[in-house]
Amino acid sequence: MKPILLENLYLKVNKNNLDQKLRYNDGGNVHMDFHGATNTTIEFIINKYGIDTMNDIFKKVGNHVYKDIKDHIKKGNIKMLAKHWQHFFDRENADYNISINDEEIILTVNRCTAYEHVRKLVGNVSPNFCDQTIKTNEALAEDTPYEIKTEILGEAACRQTIRKRT
Amino acid sequence: MIPSDHFTRFYNEVFKFLEDQGEEHLEAYWLEISKNQEKHTLELFKEKGLKGMYEYWDHIRIEENCDMDLKLDDEKLELRMNVCPSLSKVLDNDAEPMKRYCDHCAGWIGPIIDKVDHHLVYDVIDRNKPQCVVKIFKDKEKAIEEEKNAKLLMGWPNNKK
Repeated sequence: MKPILLENLYLKVNKNNLDQKLRYNDGGNVHMDFHGATNTTIEFIINKYGIDTMNDIFKKVGNHVYKDIKDHIKKGNIKMLAKHWQHFFDRENADYNISINDEEIILTVNRCTAYEHVRKLVGNVSPNFCDQTIKTNEALAEDTPYEIKTEILGEAACRQTIRKRT
Repeated sequence: MIPSDHFTRFYNEVFKFLEDQGEEHLEAYWLEISKNQEKHTLELFKEKGLKGMYEYWDHIRIEENCDMDLKLDDEKLELRMNVCPSLSKVLDNDAEPMKRYCDHCAGWIGPIIDKVDHHLVYDVIDRNKPQCVVKIFKDKEKAIEEEKNAKLLMGWPNNKK
């Protein structure tokens, strides 16, 4: 049997095929040093209050700050999340790609510039730095028909997949 | 990744949690952020004084998209924030803004200015409006005199107003 190539099943996302209006549509310059403050915050909260508290705060970010994206996911419009990924990973000059088909959207981050910037600033990145992605994604998907799986592929690399729950 | 563009909304969630724990928890966090910010500021401020502070905030003005006027003379640096992008984002937010969001700024800047033996006068004016006036003096007496003109004077850990 002839193998089916994965790329034949997905459409690569580019600027022209995601027509969604973002709730937070930032422009202008980018201040990457904020990622250093995020790293400091993660370490501070976990050391003083424990990891569950940190995760609760990320949960609030997913549920409240990103309420608009969550509302779209609830209604079945997962392209809004893909648009969010595209807009902000472009702004931060990350090496990434997004693949989309009828069932799921996959974001593959080959080089996360947030992670790399923190490593450059402080040397050691918090082992919980990527929890901001994992836990915020979980909250975005909670109480929706979708799940978001975040796989860490190595330092500064991950794959995030949103698909319908089985 | 929480985009750097959205850091202030994440910050806002952290502040709300810490405020619920009590004032000393909030202050401990501001001091931690202050320590983090020393990496970007302390040597520059020690070495160049007001001129170094001007350089730092001029860089921030551009990189953080601030509508801000900076004025430097021999006695002081004056920073007039016309539209603060940080509070503007927190107010333009589907999550509830922390009522005292502005307080963090003096909370991290104040301890650094103390360390470099200058004197901060931080007038937030109104916590619900994204504007403020910051003046940093070489001379302590001039700073004390200027405090009388502030509409809403901010203090910071170990320097309550």
